[in-house]
Amino acid sequence: MTELYTASGSKVHAHKADIFCRDETRVDWHSKALWALREKRDRAAGSLPEWEQLRLLGSQLKLHTLSHLAQYLEQFEQQCLSNGIKVHWASDAQQHNEIVHGILAKHKVKKLVKSKSMLTEECHMNPYLERHGIEVVDTDLGERIIQLANMPPSHIVVPAIHMKKEEVGELFHQQLGTKAGESDPLYLTRAARAHLREKFLTADAAMTGVNMAIADQGAIVVCTNEGNADMGANLPKLQLHSMGIDKVVPDMDSVGVLLRTLARNATGQPITTYSSFYRGPQEGGEMHVIIVDNGRTEMMKDKILAESLKCIRCGGCLNTCPVYRRSGGYSYNYTIPGPIGIAVGAKHDDTNSIPWACTLCGSCTYVCPTMVPLDKIIAHHRRLKAEAKRLPYGKGGYMPLVGRFMANETLMNTSMSAARLALRVLPGSLLKPFSGAWGKYRELPVAPESSFASWYNKNRSR
Amino acid sequence: MTNKHTILSALKQSALDQHAMPAMDVVANNDDLVGQFNASLNTVAGTLHSEGGLAALQQAVDELIQQNMQVISLLDGIKGNRQVPETAHDLADIDYAVIPGELGVAENGAIWVNQPSHRVTPFICENLILALAKDNIVANMHQAVKQVALQPGELGLFIAGPSKTADIEQALVVGAHGACSLNVYLY
Ligand code: SF4
Repeated sequence: MTELYTASGSKVHAHKADIFCRDETRVDWHSKALWALREKRDRAAGSLPEWEQLRLLGSQLKLHTLSHLAQYLEQFEQQCLSNGIKVHWASDAQQHNEIVHGILAKHKVKKLVKSKSMLTEECHMNPYLERHGIEVVDTDLGERIIQLANMPPSHIVVPAIHMKKEEVGELFHQQLGTKAGESDPLYLTRAARAHLREKFLTADAAMTGVNMAIADQGAIVVCTNEGNADMGANLPKLQLHSMGIDKVVPDMDSVGVLLRTLARNATGQPITTYSSFYRGPQEGGEMHVIIVDNGRTEMMKDKILAESLKCIRCGGCLNTCPVYRRSGGYSYNYTIPGPIGIAVGAKHDDTNSIPWACTLCGSCTYVCPTMVPLDKIIAHHRRLKAEAKRLPYGKGGYMPLVGRFMANETLMNTSMSAARLALRVLPGSLLKPFSGAWGKYRELPVAPESSFASWYNKNRSR
Repeated sequence: MTNKHTILSALKQSALDQHAMPAMDVVANNDDLVGQFNASLNTVAGTLHSEGGLAALQQAVDELIQQNMQVISLLDGIKGNRQVPETAHDLADIDYAVIPGELGVAENGAIWVNQPSHRVTPFICENLILALAKDNIVANMHQAVKQVALQPGELGLFIAGPSKTADIEQALVVGAHGACSLNVYLY
C-alpha cells in the first residue's frame, strides 16, 4: 500500500481510518460515546429559547473582533501591562517555545504543571521543554492518561475518548501502582487526584491555555471542570498562559455570550465548573501571557479561511461529525481532528487527503456556537488543493463522477446542498470509495428529503 | 521588527470586511430566580440550603469541627478552627473552606467569588461551602458579567458545583482536582 504514503511518510486519512475501522465494535462504541455528547448538547441548546440568537451574537462579536484584531490586541497588551502582567509575542511555534523556555530557565523551573492547551500541542511544546530538562506534567485527567500512554490527544475536549476504562486501568496499574484489573472510573479518578495533587504541591511553575482574553480588562479567562488549571496557577509563584491571537474578545459582555454557549455545546453542561478571570498575578508572583500567531494572520488573508478563527474550541463539531465519530481522532494528520481540524489543519497536511474526510453534510456548521461555516471552509480547501494540483491518491479518479457538482459554481457555493444531492442520486458504490475508509463498513448518511426537494424544484423550474 | 510588529502589520492584509459589534439585548427569564438557581445548582452537582441562613451555616461548621474536620472560614461572622496560613501550600489538609459568594446566576448555578486570600483556597479544600445573599441572584450571564467586580490585579471566578470529570469512558465522577462537594447557604 505504498501509494497511501506521501514522501514524508504520512498516511492519508482513508488509510488511517481503515486501521481504526477494522475493530467494528470499537468504532461503534466510539461513535456512540460521541453521539451521547451530541445529544446532551442538543438538550442544553434546546433548553434556551434564545439559543440561535446566542449563536448569531457569538458569530458577530467574533467577526467584529477579528476585523479589528490589531486594535484589540494592542488594547489587551496595554491593559495587561497596567495590571502587572508580562506580555510576549510569538510569530511561530519555535518562538513560542523559546519564550516559554526562557521564562522557565530564568526561574530555574524543573517541574511545570500544565492544563489543557491545544496551542501548546500545536507548538509541540512538551517535547521541546523535555529536551531542555524540564518535566512537564499534564494535569487534565484525560491529558494525563494520554501523556502516560505516550499518545497525542484524539479529541480537543475529551482527549482520551478513544480509550476503554480497562486500558486506563492497566495503564494506571503499570504507571501509578493502582490495583491490577481495577477499572472503576471513580477509583481511577481518585488515584489520579492523589497522584496529581503531589505534582501541584511540588511544581515550580504552571501553564494554562486561554479560553478568552478580555481586551478592555487585560484579563484572561480559563475554563475547566476539574479545577486543574487553577490548582496549578495558584500554588507556584510563576504562571504562564499561551493564547492564539484569535482568543481576544472586546469586553465582559462578549465573555457573557460565549460562556453561555461554550460548555453547553461541548458537553451539555450549563457552564464549566470553573470560569476563572485572571487580571494579574498573585501576591509576590509573576504572570506571563504569550500571544501566538503561528499561521493565523496567514489564514486572515483568505476571507473564507479567516472565519475558522471564530472557533472557541468547544469540540461540538467533532461530536456531531459522522466521519470523525467513525474514523477516530488519529486519522487527521493534525493535532486538531474533526471538522475544525480540517479547517485549520488542511494546509499542513502533506497527504492532501483530509479535506476529503468529510461528507459535506453540514452538521458541524449547524451545531457551531459561533457559526463557523465549516462545510464551506472544507469545500474551499478542496478547491485550494485542486487549484494547487495536489489532489490525494484516488480522488482524481473519482472527480469526473462528481465533477458535474464540483464544477458547477452555484452548487459549489452551496456545497451542503451539493453533497446532499450527491448522496441521493449517485449510487453508493460510486460514492463509497470517494468517501474513504470510514464509509466502507457503513451506509452513507441519508440525505434529508427536504433539501433534495428544494434543489429539485429549483432546478426543474429552470 | 519585533514579533509584535510583524503580527500587527500582517493583520493589515486581512481579507475580512469590517463588522460592527452586535447589540446584546437578550431577553432574560426573571421568574422565580431562587427556584431556577436551585434547579441549576442541582444540575451541576451542588446542594442548596435555603433555610436558616448564616445561623444554619455556623451550626453546620460547628458540627464539622466536632467531627475533627479542619475548617477555614474567609466569611466574616463564621468561625472555623483554622487561620489563614503563611503559605498557600499549607492549605493542603483543609477539609472545608467557607467563602463568601458575591453573585449567583440562575441559568447555570454559577457563583461569582472575588479574590480569596490565598487564591488556591476554593480549589485546594476537600469540600467547599459558599454563602450567598438571596437578593444577589441574577437571571443570566449577560446580567452577571455586568455586575461582578473584577478588580485590576485580582482573580475573580464563577464556580458552578464541585470539580468533576468524565474523562474515563464518559462516566461522571464528582471530585477531580478541585473540591469534591459544594454546599451553598442562602441568606
Ligand atoms: S468550529 Fe465551532 S463547533 Fe467546532 S470546535 Fe470550534 S466553536 Fe466548536
